[in-house]
Amino acid sequence: MPRTTAIATRELSKTYKDVRALDNVSLELEPDRIYGLLGRNGAGKTTLMSILTGQNYADQGTAEIFGHAPFEHDPTLSRICFIRESQKYPDDFKVHQAFKSAALFFENWDEELAQDLVEAFALPTRRRIKKLSRGQLSAVGVIIGMASRADITFFDEPYLGLDAVARQIFYDRLVEDFAEYPRTIVLSSHLIDEVANLLEHVIVIDKGRIVIDSDAEELRGTAVTVTGEDAKVQEFIGSAQIIHRDALGALASVTIKAKLDSEQREQAKLMGLDLSPVSLQQLVVRSALSSTTETGIDERTEARK
Amino acid sequence: MIDDSKPIFLQIAELIENDIISGVLAEEAQVPSTNEFAAFYRINPATAAKGINRLVEDGLLYKKRGIGMFVTEGAPRRLREQRREKFQQQFITPLTAEASKLGIGLDELVAMIKTGSDS
Amino acid sequence: MNRIIKVARMQLINKATFIGIPLIILGGSFLFTLAIWWLVRRNGSDEGLYSGGAQAPMWYFLALGIQALTLTFPFSMAMSISRRTFYLGTVALFSVCALVLSVFYYLIGLLEVATGGWGMGGQFFALQWIADNNWLVQILFYFVLMVLLFMVGFLIATIYMRWRTTGMVVFFTLLGVVVLGIIALFTFGNYWDQFWSWALNWTAAGITLWGGLVALLMAGGSYLTLRKATA
Repeated sequence: MPRTTAIATRELSKTYKDVRALDNVSLELEPDRIYGLLGRNGAGKTTLMSILTGQNYADQGTAEIFGHAPFEHDPTLSRICFIRESQKYPDDFKVHQAFKSAALFFENWDEELAQDLVEAFALPTRRRIKKLSRGQLSAVGVIIGMASRADITFFDEPYLGLDAVARQIFYDRLVEDFAEYPRTIVLSSHLIDEVANLLEHVIVIDKGRIVIDSDAEELRGTAVTVTGEDAKVQEFIGSAQIIHRDALGALASVTIKAKLDSEQREQAKLMGLDLSPVSLQQLVVRSALSSTTETGIDERTEARK
Repeated sequence: MIDDSKPIFLQIAELIENDIISGVLAEEAQVPSTNEFAAFYRINPATAAKGINRLVEDGLLYKKRGIGMFVTEGAPRRLREQRREKFQQQFITPLTAEASKLGIGLDELVAMIKTGSDS
Repeated sequence: MNRIIKVARMQLINKATFIGIPLIILGGSFLFTLAIWWLVRRNGSDEGLYSGGAQAPMWYFLALGIQALTLTFPFSMAMSISRRTFYLGTVALFSVCALVLSVFYYLIGLLEVATGGWGMGGQFFALQWIADNNWLVQILFYFVLMVLLFMVGFLIATIYMRWRTTGMVVFFTLLGVVVLGIIALFTFGNYWDQFWSWALNWTAAGITLWGGLVALLMAGGSYLTLRKATA
């Protein structure tokens, strides 16, 4: 039996006035995996998630959740949970009332888990949501997302305002709960280092375009930074694809896309070159930068005219 | 613990291998579950499973249906043999390369190793 | 169907909004009126006493229409509810509340008449002009007025949700132009006398009928507008 696709988009595009928020996005996400949707602020992450959850609609292209367009389709929507980073709650709502509401609509809602998380985050449930701090507000969204146990759960920059301890609680609980109740999770983030190890698959979006769509494990070790005497670095890297280059006098530090075998590593050592691993975060930042350098220059010349 | 130099599943496999070699995980001892590994190292459970499956494929771990994962008899010995083969390439070559860069001769190097292992 | 009822239950999680506040407004307005009447009678006046205080909760429904949408719609999106389901659940809930309150108006109106206007000859619930009609027209009259005001709020709020500030500016500019146009037309054409004699001839039944029609139109308009609104 073929596995059904959890999320599929074809040539999805969306324009706000003169900003191209999504540009021909085609993706396929399999069920029961943790996906990272990474990119800078304003790269199109939230727009993409809004369209996937029927909260917004595309200008062009199609989006399907479990084979069905989500827009205004209750049976499909009921399998999704998406709490926005800037989620609005009714003004008169207290924290526990938001949870009560969520329990109505999310069929797999786990009240015990919700209470457990309330304690872990030390969330005052009798307080009005309006009066919560930024971190507490994020915690409300995280708890609804986790306790909903929806078939597809989106977390939109869920850690804003949370301190390091609270963020760690979130990551730990996520791994724990996911292991017990596998489901599709899309974690949108620009704090990549923190979440990198949780992800099975990485999607990087920049200026509305997909620049990386790859298994996290395949990405690891696909790039390396070579540091040493400029000439020797040049000799070593040959024609490999350069992602980034820094220079300091006669020293050069060049990040290349390459999987080095042990022979090459040995050779680098013999040439007196340092090899250092490239983190997912660096890789994403570099990829995003190199994908936008040209347009960046265009814009600057445009502005000068 | 976990770094970015190579896929995490390989690192997990190596961590377990190290525990088997050092005897932390004895022969026929039960290995923590995939989910326990995932929670402990804060990694994706699928990745942890991949690392463990690799050791199962290599015959270093075996599954008891419904109970869990155990260390195969003879696994420490086999691992030690494998590691010995890699030892030259992993440690000796870079050691001599660094030594020649610093102008340390072979005799001096041997002497240094001797004092190092005494202390 | 089930999810529509759940939307109504969600709107009722905070019972004050749909039930508590209207009752407090009505009760407060009624007691205040009674107090004034008592003072008037104490000063020896024997004129007829009328109060428009029963309208008070209706104006709250205008605000409620706005609030039910602007505050709860973005949250309903997060609850993975379709716009259609949200609309049906919210409007259905309000309709039930309005109907119950309308029946209450009618019944307490009977009591008002039976007690000789609360012993002071006052008219708060059973204004002559309405109370002269049969029970069905009376109940429907209140109901239509409540729904109409709620829908005005709801429609304005949906326009805001769909087109934001631009929508508001366009909507109120157009409204202003139309109203000014009508006033200008009536003033320059000297139609005002005709207008007032026409307006004062309206019966409760007529208002109910035409008001109901307008409310239905606005309900349809806000539904179509909401279908593509974004949180």
